[in-house]
Amino acid sequence: MIEFKDVTKYYPNGAIGLDNVSFKIEKGEFVFIVGHSGSGKSTLLKLILHEETPSSGEVYVNEFAIHDMLKSEIPYLRRGLGVVFQDFRLLPNKTVYENVAFAMQIVEAQPKDIRRQVPVALALVGLSKKARSYPNQLSGGEQQRVAVARALVNNPSILIADEPTGNLDPETSWEIMDLIEEINQRGTTVIVATHEKNIVDQMKKRVFNLEYGKITRDVLEGNYTNED
Amino acid sequence: MKIRTMKYMVKEGFANTYKNLLMTIASVSMVVASLLIFGIFLMFTINLSFNLNRLKSQTEIVVFLKSDVAVMEADDIELKIESDERVANYIRLSKEQAFAQLATTYIEDLEIIEGLTPEFLNESFRIHLNNPDDISEFTEELSEMNGVEEISYPMESLNKLSTLMHWVNVGSMVVLALLLIISVSIISNTIKLTVYARRREIGIMKYIGAKDWFIRGPFVIEGMIIGLVGAILSFVLTSYFYNAVSTFVNTNAVEYGLNDLVRMVSLSNIGGQIFLIYSIIGMVMGLIGSFISVRKYLNV
Ligand SMILES: Nc1ncnc2c1ncn2[C@@H]1O[C@H](COP(=O)(O)OP(=O)(O)OP(=O)(O)O)[C@@H](O)[C@H]1O
Ligand SMILES: [Mg+2]
Repeated sequence: MIEFKDVTKYYPNGAIGLDNVSFKIEKGEFVFIVGHSGSGKSTLLKLILHEETPSSGEVYVNEFAIHDMLKSEIPYLRRGLGVVFQDFRLLPNKTVYENVAFAMQIVEAQPKDIRRQVPVALALVGLSKKARSYPNQLSGGEQQRVAVARALVNNPSILIADEPTGNLDPETSWEIMDLIEEINQRGTTVIVATHEKNIVDQMKKRVFNLEYGKITRDVLEGNYTNED
Repeated sequence: MKIRTMKYMVKEGFANTYKNLLMTIASVSMVVASLLIFGIFLMFTINLSFNLNRLKSQTEIVVFLKSDVAVMEADDIELKIESDERVANYIRLSKEQAFAQLATTYIEDLEIIEGLTPEFLNESFRIHLNNPDDISEFTEELSEMNGVEEISYPMESLNKLSTLMHWVNVGSMVVLALLLIISVSIISNTIKLTVYARRREIGIMKYIGAKDWFIRGPFVIEGMIIGLVGAILSFVLTSYFYNAVSTFVNTNAVEYGLNDLVRMVSLSNIGGQIFLIYSIIGMVMGLIGSFISVRKYLNV
């Protein structure tokens, strides 16, 4: 569950990230966030991750109040969130398997759980055969699948993706989106910031449109733009 | 902390020092240089205080009684000395004994004491204390008693030595502080390089929900390795040179006119202490250095 109440985010240089935004996302929903470059999509996601904190207003994510929490609670907030970025952010000197296992090691999971769950996550993203490859031996789509596997391996309740297909060709983009949708159907809440008009229009999910930091449109089964 | 987490940190910490070998060597050298300079001061302090205590424990307090002292008064004074817990031992010298002592001293040249009879001399107590630090308090108490004429002990030289020691202590603390700052800044720059090389990894770890101490761990280990290796090397060097110098001084002291006064503490007596001090300082340098260097990247 995610809730924003009258959230405004100013950056120290005066730039406005979000301007009095309120919404609620229930467990298991799939939400696209669209809008022009600089409209505040990444800012919204960063607030959920507590990478930024709101200048005013309230943000609730799972059992955490982002606007009012201890620094020491941040790791626990993030363990409930899986994140995928446009640039994959894999560790180049670790294999596919090690990259995914790393996510479990750093939350101090049991070694036997790591051995059990990493293969499951790799199978889910269809990369079991590439477990021993290094990131530079994979295509962009495959690298993003590894990133998705890493985001999921700790069983987060929410998956956050900031332009996950930004670096991929249209066909591969669809593969990644299908994967994310499959994850959503298993019960994970999904929030995707994207510029992919085709995908948004075809998938018929809930869409937030941001303009200059304001949500100007919030529709279920929406389109990328208002026109049609 | 879980054992496998510990293992992970130690492994990564060693990997860090190895990946950055040149800077690691530079930092270790800096720690060694700092500890050696500090070591010189430390050795000086240790030996000064050792010799000061030796001198003090050899110090004899002489209490001269008035020549017309009443027997009762003299016995009172003796009772006070005898019952005082601070006194290690004492002897009471009567006028006759004092005279006999003088006579033995000048046995070859009796003219000097010609005409001198025991009557002219003063009765006295020769006192050694358990703890030389009690001297001034103890003598003050005695001097207030009836029948005491004068109390003498080599205060001047002791006080001078004490003052010297005080300043050496202050000096070594100042030097230590300066060296600490320099070493810490070099160690932290070294670790900053590894932190910088691993900033992507740190970023990912933060997003996945690693705790700060988990991220910091390998770098702290890296700093402690630098500090400890530096401490061990410094200890080896210090031991070698100190042993050479102290053996030389102690075997040749008499020849060089230092007679019985000056002695250096032998290495076996202070080796453990020096190693402990070096290790603690080295690790503190490493700890502070690593904390400084990771701090910036933890604020994501
Ligand atoms: N760290 C920052 N410091 C200052 N200003 C920032 C910072 N991050 C974002 N901004 C500003 O806040 C506004 C919203 O930025 P944001 O990154 O949220 O946009 P976006 O919708 O994600 O854009 P894009 O589609 O290009 O990724 C922009 O004007 C941007 O310049
Ligand atoms: Mg963005």
